[in-house]
Amino acid sequence: MSNPPILLQGVGVQYDLHLSRKRSIRKTVYRVTREKVESERKFWALRNINLTVAAGESIAVIGPNGAGKSTLLQTLAGIIPVTEGKIQVRGDIATLLHLGAGLEDELNAEDNVMLVGAFLGIPAAVMRKKVKGILDFADLGKFARAEARTYSSGMRARLGFSIATSVEPDVLLLDEVLSTGDASFRDKSRDRIVSMMKKARAIVYVTHDLESAAEFCSRAIELRKGEIVAEGPAKRIIADYQKRMAANPAAYPVGKPGRARGR
Amino acid sequence: MASRTHQLTVGRPPRGTLGTIAETLESIWERRELISRLTLTAIRRRGADSVLGHIWWVLDPALQMVIYTILVTFIRQRSQPDFPLFIFVALLPWKWFSSALGTASESIRKRDKVLRQIAFPQITLPVANIVESVFEFCVGLIPLFALYLVYPSHLTMWVLALPLIIIVQLLVTIPFAITLSAVNVFYRDIGNTLTHVLRLWFYLSPSLYSIETMRSMVKNYPALDFLVSLNPFTWIFSGYRDVLFEGRAPDLVPLLTLSVVSILFTFVAIHIFRRMAPNFVKVL
Repeated sequence: MSNPPILLQGVGVQYDLHLSRKRSIRKTVYRVTREKVESERKFWALRNINLTVAAGESIAVIGPNGAGKSTLLQTLAGIIPVTEGKIQVRGDIATLLHLGAGLEDELNAEDNVMLVGAFLGIPAAVMRKKVKGILDFADLGKFARAEARTYSSGMRARLGFSIATSVEPDVLLLDEVLSTGDASFRDKSRDRIVSMMKKARAIVYVTHDLESAAEFCSRAIELRKGEIVAEGPAKRIIADYQKRMAANPAAYPVGKPGRARGR
Repeated sequence: MASRTHQLTVGRPPRGTLGTIAETLESIWERRELISRLTLTAIRRRGADSVLGHIWWVLDPALQMVIYTILVTFIRQRSQPDFPLFIFVALLPWKWFSSALGTASESIRKRDKVLRQIAFPQITLPVANIVESVFEFCVGLIPLFALYLVYPSHLTMWVLALPLIIIVQLLVTIPFAITLSAVNVFYRDIGNTLTHVLRLWFYLSPSLYSIETMRSMVKNYPALDFLVSLNPFTWIFSGYRDVLFEGRAPDLVPLLTLSVVSILFTFVAIHIFRRMAPNFVKVL
């Protein structure tokens, strides 16, 4: 096919630290008086990214914390616009980034399913047919009727996961989701993601779990400080990455993926 | 699956200022399902916050009316006849305006989690809060009509013109709410400032006093008189007073002017919103 599902050409995403740090006028005044305003306020979370994901391909994105992996996914999802370069993503996109986002405390499970469906832009008629399957999979028991504020964090994660994986996307964007919930749910969710991956045209999988990345993905890219530093067959890239990591663990901090920046 | 056309979902070329405004308006219509669900959620959440729940929608303006009536009766010698009704027809719309701005200004910030996970038109968030505020206002009309049992002489046919004034106020509210929702993401001080600005605005409008009283206070100062005319709530409060209290035709020319200006400002507000929207997720 001439149009690949994902095409990035010279993509850069810039953060304005000045903007994201501004929390109040008081703090701004404080900063201006106490320290000199930083001359280097702009920060490229991604730079010079060239990436084509062909139909049927799955790409693992690896790299240390703060390398820009999550930003890359958010950019592909259309959540963060690019500052420079060209981006094209074709087809329906599903993101499994932060599970449980959009759940409302005052709504029961079914209403929450419908609300998240509305956020995703899925017509209510389509979503209504999915409700039962989603609730069964989330396995909330009698809590399905109760408001979400009564749920445990595991229940929330399961409900969020069930909703997010109830769609059949063309482009699947995964961020460290194979570790949701308790052990039994983890196996169930793993199966579900694997079957989703089989149906999707293109997959981008961000993870620190290098074994699963090597298992599921055909190709891998390594990000470092917002740039692609290595690209190739998943097994080779990951083995190489692991070798360097073992030699110098301090240079490859691994932890909870998150938003270290700007906070 | 294979036959499905894979349309461009991310990376569509920008459409320019007017195109972006049109696109935003289209997205509001396309996402009406989301807006109605968000509205219902907001209504539920408001009810769940307190023991009395939605009764507060009625109780709150009623209590405010009692307090102002007591204050004004004690402080002012020459009192306005039928003051409770007189004040209520201004309090109720003002409560609508201030709560619409209050909730809409928080609408983007409070949804940071979903904004970071799902790409959807962010404009739906403040719009849902505006819709919710309309519901709240309509519930507040119940005690208003209960007050007519006490002051039946003020109830005239002109009450039928009430929807017109409501629409004008809604049109005025929209650009403020949309702009604040976006700006508040970057300047968290908006929330604190807003309370005080609104309070001052309320007292500088013909709220506790009639427009005639207000005009006579500023008649020797043309500049102030001009400012009074610039205040949209001069005309909105007068409109409500005309149809709900005085039982006479509202002054249509300023109300229509206000509507047209507000629609123009709505386009400006959408433009500002869309200019700021790309940075929401980066800052939240």
